[in-house]
Amino acid sequence: MTTLPPDAAVHVRDLRKSYTIHEKEPGFLGSLRAFVRRQSREVEAVRGVSFDLAPGEVVGFLGPNGAGKTTTLKMLSGLLHPSGGEVRVAGFEPRRRQSEFLRRITLVMGQKQQLIWDLPALDSFLVNQAIYEIPDPQYRATMHEFTEVLGLSGILKKQVRKLSLGERMKCELAAALLHRPQVLFLDEPTIGLDVNMQESVRAFIRDYNERYGATVILTSHYMADVTALARRILVIDRGQLVFDGDLARLVERAGGGKTVRLQLRRPVTAAALAAYGEGVKVDGLSAELTVPRAEVSSRAARLLADLDVADLTVEDPPIEAVMAELFGGKEAVRG
Amino acid sequence: MTRYLRLLRLFTGATLSAQLEYRANFLGAVLASLGEVGVALLGIGVLFGQPGTDTVGGWTFHQALLVTGFFMLTEGVISVFIQPNMSKIAEAVRTGSMDFTLLKPLDAQFGVSTRHLNVLRAGDLLIGLGLIAYAASHLTVTLGGFAGAAVLYLSAVVIVYCIWLALSTTAFWFVKTQNASELFNGVFGAARFPVTAFPVPIRALLTFVVPVALITTVPAQALTGTLTPALALASPLVAAAAFVLTRLFWLKAVASYTSASS
Ligand SMILES: Nc1ncnc2c1ncn2[C@@H]1O[C@H](COP(=O)(O)OP(=O)(O)OP(=O)(O)O)[C@@H](O)[C@H]1O
Ligand SMILES: [Mg+2]
Repeated sequence: MTTLPPDAAVHVRDLRKSYTIHEKEPGFLGSLRAFVRRQSREVEAVRGVSFDLAPGEVVGFLGPNGAGKTTTLKMLSGLLHPSGGEVRVAGFEPRRRQSEFLRRITLVMGQKQQLIWDLPALDSFLVNQAIYEIPDPQYRATMHEFTEVLGLSGILKKQVRKLSLGERMKCELAAALLHRPQVLFLDEPTIGLDVNMQESVRAFIRDYNERYGATVILTSHYMADVTALARRILVIDRGQLVFDGDLARLVERAGGGKTVRLQLRRPVTAAALAAYGEGVKVDGLSAELTVPRAEVSSRAARLLADLDVADLTVEDPPIEAVMAELFGGKEAVRG
Repeated sequence: MTRYLRLLRLFTGATLSAQLEYRANFLGAVLASLGEVGVALLGIGVLFGQPGTDTVGGWTFHQALLVTGFFMLTEGVISVFIQPNMSKIAEAVRTGSMDFTLLKPLDAQFGVSTRHLNVLRAGDLLIGLGLIAYAASHLTVTLGGFAGAAVLYLSAVVIVYCIWLALSTTAFWFVKTQNASELFNGVFGAARFPVTAFPVPIRALLTFVVPVALITTVPAQALTGTLTPALALASPLVAAAAFVLTRLFWLKAVASYTSASS
């Protein structure tokens, strides 16, 4: 037994989940065979994850496909019973799914929807109002606020099936947060949205977090979501937490180097630049190369001295590149 | 409690307005209802049609009509209230939308059982009630018989609901149980004729193995005052036991739920 930090909003210790999967060969005969003699196998989706979140904290939860992010969020929200370990959310044990607990949390899944398909979103909101017993004044205030931040006016009275993906996602978020939960589990809330729509979803989450001091765990494959919202990042890979810290440290940890961008006054060959760093790319008068983190200043000084440089900038590599480095192309294989 | 009543009202409103979106389905539903009565009345016609047949298995024509009325009414109750909800359980488990039901601070069994209505089949309810009223007007019905029939019929509806829920709940384990409801329809269809019209082994099966008799024949007997006290007691008791058992089964299924992968 570990002692529970008294003010933790989310407390996770050595959390585990294994699924029993039944394998079946394709086709009818395969089904019949599987029915008679079941082939089953254990898959360990989450293997000993531990972390604590303070109230009001926003964390990004990253990892390649199949790493165990959704599984973890489902255990935190009480949908799945853990195979082992300890979970506390807002002081409750999620798997018991007490009503008091469910009123304090929400789970948004970008891939699934709760809105009633054939009716305007407003009808679903009214149903949720009744389920969560939201008093009328609070309901009106929340709706007013959400309508403003998310830009919902004009789409609330259209049947959900006639909404665009982005409009629907905004309504989904509103429906999921109508009861003003304290702890938000957001599983790919921006999936499939265009850049503008992603931005307004982010703005909404940020606004909600600031207004209500809610704790947020956010998974996404769009790094912009995570860098815009979260200071702290958790990275999970094959069911285990491989990183817990801030974004800058993640970039550092990934090793790699910094990206140096050059604007030149006279053309240079890639071969000439190879002496200063790796991954050289030349495009007319602009060039890009990667240099080891520790040698950024000395290499930059040499570049400036040796070449006719108009402009030089040093950047952290994009987070996508960091993730690719951390997981070394596993993403493609693991699907 | 008031919250649950309020929710019933909201669910009903929502499901009604959703169905108004698809008005074209209405005609089909009316035809289906008429088809059902046609088949049931044809059955009775065949049984009583031969010259000189006044009773079948001790049942008079109007008594048999009464049973048919209860059958139609039950058909209606199933297609309006029960089937629309139960048939969506397997689907919700398969697509993972059951997640949302389980995440609500609301009894999940209530949630899955009351969310939908198929108003299009409300005609079956009317036809059933009409047949019962017509048949009863040709029989002697006491006030006690009427009250007894109401209680027994309610018990029967509870039993039907429990059987459907139990079958649908297996979806948590065997996600594809669409044919579980077909199985049920096959079994239930037999109750459209009075149980005693069947040979003894089949009658025993129907009476004891599947409590279909309780669903249609017993309320009809109560209405006409031909019911034995033992049977009168059995139905509510079976209903209560079935409700408790299905509830436990449901809770066990929910506990073992692992929602569809992301
Ligand atoms: N219901 C289930 N039954 C069996 N195995 C499952 C189930 N759900 C998930 N898994 C397996 O558990 C592992 C983790 O899956 P999970 O959905 O948690 O990954 P994820 O990190 O959310 O991935 P993604 O980024 O693709 O959403 C995968 O190997 C997956 O195949
Ligand atoms: Mg996922």
